[in-house]
Amino acid sequence: MHETEQHDLSDDSDYAAASRHDVSRSILRSDSGKSTTSEAGGSEVVYSKENVAIHPTQYASERISGRLRLFKQGSSLFLSWIPYKPTTDGSAVLQGQGSSSVPLEKDRYLYTIKSLPLADVHSIRRHTPALGWQYTIVVLSSGLAYPPFYFYNGGVREFLATLKHHVFIVRSADDANVFLVNNFRDPLQRTLSSLELPGVVSIANRTSFHKPRISMSSLDDPERVNGATYDGTSSTSEYSGQPKKSHDPARDISIQVLEKFSLVTKFARETTSHLFCDSHDGLNAYEKKQQNNYSSVKHTSSQSDEMEKTSDMSPVASDPLEFEELRLIWGKQRMHPLSFEEWTSFFDSEGRITDSKALRERIFYGGVEDDIRKKVWKFLLGYHEYDSTDAEREYLASVKKSEYQVIKTQWKSISAAQAKRFTKFRERKGLIDKDVVRTDRSIAYYEGDDNPNVTILRDILLTYSFYNFDLGYCQGMSDLLSPILYVMEDESESFWCFVALMERLGPNFNRDQSGMHSQLFALSKLVEILDSPLHNYFKQADCLNYFFCFRWILIQFKREFEYDQIMHLWEVLWTHHLSEHLHLYMCVAILKKHRKKIMGEQMDFDTLLKFINELSGHIDLDWTIREAEALCTCAGENGAACIPPGTPPSLPIETDMGLYPQDDEVL
Amino acid sequence: MATTGNNSVNAKLVLLGDMGAGKSSLVIRFVRGQFLEFQESTIGAAFFAQTLAVGDTTVKFEIWDTAGQERYHSLAPMYYRGAAAAIVVFDITSSESFEKAKKWVQELQKQGNPNMVTALAGNKCDLEDKRKVEVEEARTYAEENGLFFLETSAKTAINVNDIFYEIARRLPQAQPAQQPAGVVLTNTPAQRSQSSSCCS
Repeated sequence: MHETEQHDLSDDSDYAAASRHDVSRSILRSDSGKSTTSEAGGSEVVYSKENVAIHPTQYASERISGRLRLFKQGSSLFLSWIPYKPTTDGSAVLQGQGSSSVPLEKDRYLYTIKSLPLADVHSIRRHTPALGWQYTIVVLSSGLAYPPFYFYNGGVREFLATLKHHVFIVRSADDANVFLVNNFRDPLQRTLSSLELPGVVSIANRTSFHKPRISMSSLDDPERVNGATYDGTSSTSEYSGQPKKSHDPARDISIQVLEKFSLVTKFARETTSHLFCDSHDGLNAYEKKQQNNYSSVKHTSSQSDEMEKTSDMSPVASDPLEFEELRLIWGKQRMHPLSFEEWTSFFDSEGRITDSKALRERIFYGGVEDDIRKKVWKFLLGYHEYDSTDAEREYLASVKKSEYQVIKTQWKSISAAQAKRFTKFRERKGLIDKDVVRTDRSIAYYEGDDNPNVTILRDILLTYSFYNFDLGYCQGMSDLLSPILYVMEDESESFWCFVALMERLGPNFNRDQSGMHSQLFALSKLVEILDSPLHNYFKQADCLNYFFCFRWILIQFKREFEYDQIMHLWEVLWTHHLSEHLHLYMCVAILKKHRKKIMGEQMDFDTLLKFINELSGHIDLDWTIREAEALCTCAGENGAACIPPGTPPSLPIETDMGLYPQDDEVL
Repeated sequence: MATTGNNSVNAKLVLLGDMGAGKSSLVIRFVRGQFLEFQESTIGAAFFAQTLAVGDTTVKFEIWDTAGQERYHSLAPMYYRGAAAAIVVFDITSSESFEKAKKWVQELQKQGNPNMVTALAGNKCDLEDKRKVEVEEARTYAEENGLFFLETSAKTAINVNDIFYEIARRLPQAQPAQQPAGVVLTNTPAQRSQSSSCCS
């Protein structure tokens, strides 16, 4: 096993005496990794969890991992948390943070908990967020609190269950996620508590994600940031709060901790990358071992069981408090679609949209009503400028109409004799002809023999393939055009809107698949920071190419939802509110939702592809958007950092090579 | 690869061919017994499973249906790699699709599993009046290249099940060296396929 340090459990001195200064000296080395039963003095370990970590700074740019234990001596229960040997991660992962690095070595000892009698614990707050790792915060009777313990291997539920078994804990009436220890004041609560330990629910904090910077607190203290001063007293007090009257100190801490979640995830990502390149220190060796274990079937299933227990998102709001919290983590409640009246209120007297950001945000949360969609999409797609006037747009429409006709004439004027000698044209026309007759033919607008709209679809695509001859036609484009023509009901306008869309999505159809590869790569990075168990599973199942999400991404979920839902989804995506890449967060959201099944059934690539394909028509759109919003917000800048510049649908980075690299014959 | 259990074989099968040749229609006819006049194009790939009983042996086909457009060609090896069988589909009303089919056959011969059972399907044989590829031409090509050939129609269901049955019959014999050690495929009528007809 790995090499860890264990301290002498026989020393049951008061936790206060084990002030963090002194702890370092009392740590004894043990060569053995045996972890279960009595070490000394008749203490019995009743709970032991590896890889429980604290993040000493708000930047979470390093963590200190250790082993959390509950052990019994006589009839008393104690908690210990002993950090592993220091790692080289600390200095490495701090790069880019700009500030001085935190002395890890020192921190390890600062935070060591040698033996904390549960009799001195006031409460334990658990956090089992849908996103990221579970953690708990231990608040002492004195009002002081320890830094959050992150359970990187899961196990919060087990931890609480073990506690419940040995000490008296009740769920706080004020907060379903706070468990009061040794609270004998309320006999009714005592009775109730004996009935059940509540199930684990996905929760977050009470901070609205939309106003993430509400408090400047100790965690934002510059001194704290720099990590320059760490003595036992200050580090303890920094994690303390007011004794709970109006609010719970643990909650305050956890709010800030989750605010910093993105930093935690960044750090975790960096740690993960270290894990696979470093092997020369104790922790990494240990974690490597963990990884190896993970890949074995047995280990995987036991781990996945644990994941399922704790982070499967089936929120059952058993009380109003929990419900409120759920709503916050879920992203905002969806709104009614933007109405005509609301829409007109965004324009000034000359027809400019004065606050496009507010408009886009509004549309993000509710979409638009059918009757204004035609107008709205032209802005969202970029065909119309937000600050253009009515007169300018009117003029543009007429100019663009004739411009379209000019391009269309280019192929319209190709005679049969000419076509005979123009293989590329014939082939391209053949591809488009084959596809338009099987695009959305069950939609009334396109159904029936000799439907003129099918012809228009064909004409626009063929004209586009002349407008953008390098890119040409590719399967999937007809799917993207179909709803646009349906909405615009005008050939020229549809063409230009399609052109605008393809400015962003064109690279999806690159011959070298570069646009798709960059998105699939970004997706794998996002899953890595937002759902590491699933990432690890995909890794060991050799599914990291995420090719099973190809269809989702290529045509923006077109095949996964009903037609009217697609229009709604696309206008939401096109607002680019929060991110240009919300569709990738949607992928994460859906995968995450099905993680239990994917991992539980040990799906291989084939099975996964089948499973994903068959989700079509069974995905809850509103849920997925809200979840994607929450994931996007939580991932924050680190999420954005997963997505390389120029990744579609970001506008491509132009090079001398042209927008669409040609590496084989043009079709 | 085909893998075997007691009297049962799992076989990965891939459908290749020009876009619009009817790959998805063939597999949907086989798996669901359905036909859509305007079967939508396949984006990426689709996966189906269907089980057939051949004599005492059950063959479970794991079928990969691929996107036909040339531009997605580079993704195809992901699907045919390790496949025990392939159906290369062309549209008898399109000479181009027959040429594409030949290219696919060449590629499989070069890159695919050497023991792969490969079938050539001339689909849309209900459209006799629009025929561009003669039966003899395709049959000759198939014989020269060690394929078996059937003309099919996903629309009328002609020969659709037959082509899958024929592949199933040929699998165990085609894969003698592929059986994992220690797994014995018993009770398989080894001679059966020798006598089976392979042409329409």
